[in-house]
Amino acid sequence: MAVCIAVIAKENYPLYIRSVPIQNELKFHYTVHTSLDVVEEKISAVGKAMADQRELYLGLLYPTEDYKVYGCVTNSKVKFVIVADSSNTSLRDNEIRSMFRKLHNSFTDVMCNPFYNPGDTIQSKAFDSMVSAMMVQAS
Amino acid sequence: MAQCVQSVQELIQDSFVPKVAVLCSEDAQKITRKNNLNFSELLRPFCRLTSEGHMRDSNNQVQVVKNLRISVNNVVTRPSVPTSGVHSPAQRRLLSEVVSASQPAEGGVANVITAGDYDLNISDRSVKASVPWYSDWRDTLTELSTSKHYTATTPWFEAYRESFLQSMPASDHEFLNHYLACLLVVSSSEAVPVEQFLKLSQEQHMIQHNGEYTNPKWFIPNTLKYYVLLHDMSQGDEQRADSVYEDMKQRYGSQGCYLLKINSRTAAAGTDEQIPDPWSQYLNKSSLQSQVRRDFVPLPHTNLLQILQVSGLSLDNTHPLQLETAIDMPGSLDCLRAVATETKTTTVYTGVAAGTSHGACLTLNDHNRLRLFIQEFTFRGLLPHIEKNIRQLNDQLVSRKGLSRSLFSVTKKLFGGGKVPEKSIAELKNTSGLLYHPEAPELQIRKMADLCFLVQHYELAYSCYHTAKKDFLSDQAMLYAAGALEMAAVSAFLQGGAQRPYPAHYMDTAIQTYRDVCKNKVLAERCALFSAEVLKSQAKYSDAATLLIKMTSEDSDLCSALLLEQAAHCFINMRNPMVRKFAFHMILAGHRFSKAGQKRHALRCYCQAMQVYKGKGWSLAEDHINFTIGRQSFTLRQPENAVLAFRHILTNDSQQTATQQGAFLREYLYVYRGAFLRESHTVALPQLPLPCINSSATRVYFGHERRLAEGEKQAATHVSLDQEFDQDLAAVWQDLEEQVVAAANRGVVPSTFYPTQCCLNSQTDNLHFPLAVVEEPIIVEVAFRNPLKVPLVLSDLSLLWKFTLKDFSRPQPQDVMVGDAVTITNEKEARLKLLPRQTGQLTILGLVYNLASTPSTGDSTINSNSPSVRGRQDLEIQGPRLNQTKEEKTSVSHGPDRRLDPTITPPMPLLEVFFLQFPTALLCGEIRKAYVEFCNVSHVPLCGLRVASTHPDFFTFGSSSLATPLTPLSPTSFENCSAYKTLATPPGATPGSVTAVTLVSAADFGSGGGGVFGTGGKRVAEIPLGEGTLTPGESTQLPLWLRGPDQEGVHEINFLFYYEGAEKGGKISHRVLRHTVFICASRSLSVRATACRSNTLPEEEGRNGSMLVFVDVENINTSEAGVREFHIAQVSSSSKQWRLHKCINPAENKDCKLTTRERGKLCFRATRSTSKSLEKYTFADLSLGNEQIISSTTPCADFFFRRCQSSESWRPLIAVETQGRHSRSQGAGPGGGAEDITGVVRKCNEVDLDIIVLWKAFVVEDNKQVILEGQLHVALQTIGKEACSLRQKEEAQEMVLLKFKPELPPPMTRPSMEQLSHLIKTNLHYPESYSHSFVQKSLCMIPVILTLSNCSLAQVDAIIDLRHKTTSPESLEVHGSFTWLGKTQYKLQLRAQEVMRLPLRAGFLHAGVYNLGTPRVFAKLADQGAMCETSQQTATPALIIINST
Repeated sequence: MAVCIAVIAKENYPLYIRSVPIQNELKFHYTVHTSLDVVEEKISAVGKAMADQRELYLGLLYPTEDYKVYGCVTNSKVKFVIVADSSNTSLRDNEIRSMFRKLHNSFTDVMCNPFYNPGDTIQSKAFDSMVSAMMVQAS
Repeated sequence: MAQCVQSVQELIQDSFVPKVAVLCSEDAQKITRKNNLNFSELLRPFCRLTSEGHMRDSNNQVQVVKNLRISVNNVVTRPSVPTSGVHSPAQRRLLSEVVSASQPAEGGVANVITAGDYDLNISDRSVKASVPWYSDWRDTLTELSTSKHYTATTPWFEAYRESFLQSMPASDHEFLNHYLACLLVVSSSEAVPVEQFLKLSQEQHMIQHNGEYTNPKWFIPNTLKYYVLLHDMSQGDEQRADSVYEDMKQRYGSQGCYLLKINSRTAAAGTDEQIPDPWSQYLNKSSLQSQVRRDFVPLPHTNLLQILQVSGLSLDNTHPLQLETAIDMPGSLDCLRAVATETKTTTVYTGVAAGTSHGACLTLNDHNRLRLFIQEFTFRGLLPHIEKNIRQLNDQLVSRKGLSRSLFSVTKKLFGGGKVPEKSIAELKNTSGLLYHPEAPELQIRKMADLCFLVQHYELAYSCYHTAKKDFLSDQAMLYAAGALEMAAVSAFLQGGAQRPYPAHYMDTAIQTYRDVCKNKVLAERCALFSAEVLKSQAKYSDAATLLIKMTSEDSDLCSALLLEQAAHCFINMRNPMVRKFAFHMILAGHRFSKAGQKRHALRCYCQAMQVYKGKGWSLAEDHINFTIGRQSFTLRQPENAVLAFRHILTNDSQQTATQQGAFLREYLYVYRGAFLRESHTVALPQLPLPCINSSATRVYFGHERRLAEGEKQAATHVSLDQEFDQDLAAVWQDLEEQVVAAANRGVVPSTFYPTQCCLNSQTDNLHFPLAVVEEPIIVEVAFRNPLKVPLVLSDLSLLWKFTLKDFSRPQPQDVMVGDAVTITNEKEARLKLLPRQTGQLTILGLVYNLASTPSTGDSTINSNSPSVRGRQDLEIQGPRLNQTKEEKTSVSHGPDRRLDPTITPPMPLLEVFFLQFPTALLCGEIRKAYVEFCNVSHVPLCGLRVASTHPDFFTFGSSSLATPLTPLSPTSFENCSAYKTLATPPGATPGSVTAVTLVSAADFGSGGGGVFGTGGKRVAEIPLGEGTLTPGESTQLPLWLRGPDQEGVHEINFLFYYEGAEKGGKISHRVLRHTVFICASRSLSVRATACRSNTLPEEEGRNGSMLVFVDVENINTSEAGVREFHIAQVSSSSKQWRLHKCINPAENKDCKLTTRERGKLCFRATRSTSKSLEKYTFADLSLGNEQIISSTTPCADFFFRRCQSSESWRPLIAVETQGRHSRSQGAGPGGGAEDITGVVRKCNEVDLDIIVLWKAFVVEDNKQVILEGQLHVALQTIGKEACSLRQKEEAQEMVLLKFKPELPPPMTRPSMEQLSHLIKTNLHYPESYSHSFVQKSLCMIPVILTLSNCSLAQVDAIIDLRHKTTSPESLEVHGSFTWLGKTQYKLQLRAQEVMRLPLRAGFLHAGVYNLGTPRVFAKLADQGAMCETSQQTATPALIIINST
């Protein structure tokens, strides 16, 4: 389960960022922000021509001492970042993928909302609850 | 990246140089001390050799030594820091001093790196540039784009590295910084210099071989001794020196000794001669600092100074890192450091007093001598010595080679492959302890490698290191192996060319070994520094960064900070710059710097990171950085920067929690206070960021705040700040004002007219400078918004303004009203008052206030210890966006907004209006008398008082020409007195008959009676003031009659009082006062009236004019108002042609009484009035009660005329339509006869009679019976058509379908049949009953006269048909009908309004009752040949009774 989930706009400002409340929120902000560099590197590494066939899932962006950061980029260059605890070894690549898929679907729903103004921060309750379902439950 | 001044090659070369020790006799030291230097310091600037050296390697090949540097140091026997691998506290302190002393030069050229979307300003100037980082940013960018310098240097890192490398303790596992040679220096002034040389030589030998001293480590047992005879030119005997030198040459050989002559400048020889001071750059910073200390210690500390000098004497020759004297100078230390940094930035060391300048006794010649000496020593002494040793070692090795190889193979055989790891594990545990003896044969190869390395023979060095590495590894001597690995990698790198790829993994292994196995952090760090540099030079930034980050540890914050910073620079220098990683690591570095106490560096790091985070939506991070910057700036005594940084946290719409925000706020206030308390108050107050001011929502109100009610008096509402602005309402007021201004200016609105605006806001027209009157307050309402979740407390608010005198009067200050403390939780307005005392131009600039936070304890009282700061905020209002021309549409430009720039004008009159007994609810049509008081509260007379209203028929001031003295002028005598003027009915008069007929000209009520209706707007009325003016302070009461609106419901009625000053030509031509009332009208009576022709004979009443008027009165009051009953008191008529004649009611109840929902019918006869005057109205009163109301006087007639006007205003559309049609038909040709007919026909049906029903209502109010009076108007226009007092709803018109095609003109209307049937009025005149003896005469003949009267004004042809309608069923019914005798058909022609009598005879056969009304009359207009006759309306049944006798 994730400890921090973030959605970042094409222009690299956060649309949504949520972390496990007991942890240091600021740290996650920094971590997610820094991971954008890796995302950009990975995107640019694929190259222009292959951009269409590029897989959305970027895999492990970078491991820190305590956390693993995974990334995913939609075709519209919206980035999803999931930070998971390094100690959580049960988390497999497949599960991360499915988390991203869920996140993407939910994000699409948000975008489909005619009252949502693209570029605004996400305040959807449905999205929120879906994210909390994916988060580590703070006990 | 940190671009270094040196290249990597230079750096490494300079890090490992041949070291030379110095032993100096005391006399020699004295000589050098003259120059404030010891011998090694003296030589230091000249230690780099400018010329190439040559030496032969073991294969007798010539090796070129370029750019060699040697290091000359005094011998220090004190044991140095144990090689524990950790820095001692002293070392740490020194390193940190070095770093903090090296600060980015202010004003240096900045460097911008463009990385993706980011333009990063990673400059030395960033600390400065960060100060106004929104405003200055652009300037910096433009400046940088033009600049050619693209180097970001981190001099503090280089300084650190240099210090760090120099402070490396000599270690046993490597020989690079062991002494190769020793200079023995003796002065020529010595009695026996040779003895001294011997002494020194013995001393050196003792130090090296005694075993007592571990510290100065020596490379080779037989160290090169070089004998230097120092001669002081200023004192010594030169010849003696030369002779001693000759002696020395004999003894030590010409290559082993030297005569150095210095101090050739005499003290007297002008000090003005400028000699370059090379020492300032070469002497390292810490020693420089100690120099500074010496200079700046005040006199009382002389003993301390001596101590320092002593320590300088004994220790200066060692590396300053080992300087462990506890120099404790609290207080002065800071300023000294400050001076030190200052002098550092001015690279040339000139700021120091002349006494301490180095080399004062040296001439340029002496410099050259020193240079020569070093060269001589190196080429003649040192290099050959090294060459010799390399050869020796090489020989040894060659002889040993076979042995070692065989040994190796033997061990291998002995232990076998499988056992090696086991051994290694066992060995690993104590490898760090494994030490070879310095002269151990295993170290020989390493020694040789080091020697080769020192003389730049890297190829040989590499192969030696490589071999050594293998040996050490096999011995599991890990420290030695790591050292060999490190140097192997370095020498491979320095070899250059493509001979050998750089073995990066050697470095990694070395670092790992140093760190993990040997636990030697210092060595690991050194190794990492080299490795990183090498990687960087090979553009492997990612690896370098990883390496640097790996090297950070919890042990040393300073080191970690520096490494992190370098790593950050690596990220940004990658091919795809990783800006965010850069920023993140900068933050980490900043954090470590601050932990290490390097505040300036920390601040710089945060500022650089800020550039990435700024404005990108990462608010949490941004806030954190800003907060840190603020704190650091504050501790660094840069309060302005701190305040700025804190501002950003507070002004952002922060997502922080309330407690966090509260903390930020408190911190901000604290910092702010700290920053600005020190400054004098003459400085302009600084801007405060909180709370936000919504400038455009600022409202400005001119004038006093009004009292709304004062006892019974009710003041005019006017405009107040409490009202919301309503665009529609504003338009209504403006329209009213325009009308009243037009009326006051004889019907023309002057071109300079500009509507008065008392309250300016964002929606009003603010293009003009508003006008304010002197001595009248200006109230400014400022809208605050608190973006935080914690409340803010504002106190001592006042306005800032600027005043320019325009007119000339004695200067007087302006009063500023100050508001009370305001606590703002979310949004709040504050009102501030300004009282101008003289005329001129005022500009309101902003406001000043104290800002404080509420104490966290939660009590609302503002206690003194909660910090409050004083600051200002400007009010800048942007006008509306311009959107007129094309340029304005394509660009964004805003118009001016002059809300806050009022012009103060000379005094103007000021009117206050009060209403007395003004009702809030009225019955429809109710007449009520109220009083209005006009009061001039200014010091200037007032005149030209007028009023305009949206409902002019609602009120009247009475007619001045008919001003009745009867009406009581004071409201006190009002009690139970009718609003009407009444007369008691003469006792004899029968109720219901006309008692009075008055002729009144409309002009009386038109012009005099309260209105200039003719001139301008219909809604403007002049107010009859006594003399037309109100003197200052005067007040007048005037009666005011009100009439309830005809429509029920709530009516909003606007009054606009207009007045002028007595003096014309001022800036303000007039002033206005607004008043709005709401009247709730409830239903009273509904009056419907119809008129029809009376069939009575015209002879009876005058000539041809008789009409019946039926008035239906219904009480439609719903009893809520407590109305018990209505009495119809009087019915009056008003018309130009008609008048009511008498009531023909079966009037049993003389007072017509109507209770709830009751309906009454009144019937009147009206006659044509006899008056010839067409312009005058005839008022006829028919009193039904016991008193007559004179309807032709003030309230009644006024409202009648007002109603006429208002109803006229309802009609213009129809009038225009008919006119248009008229002209069209005329244009059509001469055959426009139809139009005439219509006119004629209509005319004949027209009545123009207005019925006024005056009623009284008995209302129970608070158990008291109150009589209300009222009047209702019905306008009768057409005979037979019902008219109603209530205006017909206009819904039908409002709901007209939209038509996009022009409507076809309606076909020429012919007069309708109905209309035509009214052309002729018939009347039968006969005896009502007739007795006839049918016995005697069977036929009874009765003469009947048929009167035909032409109602129209045209000639009419009439046909009278007397035949009974056979088809008519009723004729069959009538038993025994009668017959008309004589002609059955008459053709007649009637002239206009002619009355013709036609004698007829009727014959009856039986007695009975007969209807004589059978004659049918057809009529047509005489000149309309084409038309057929129309049957005229039959008269009512005319019954005749024939009696038989």
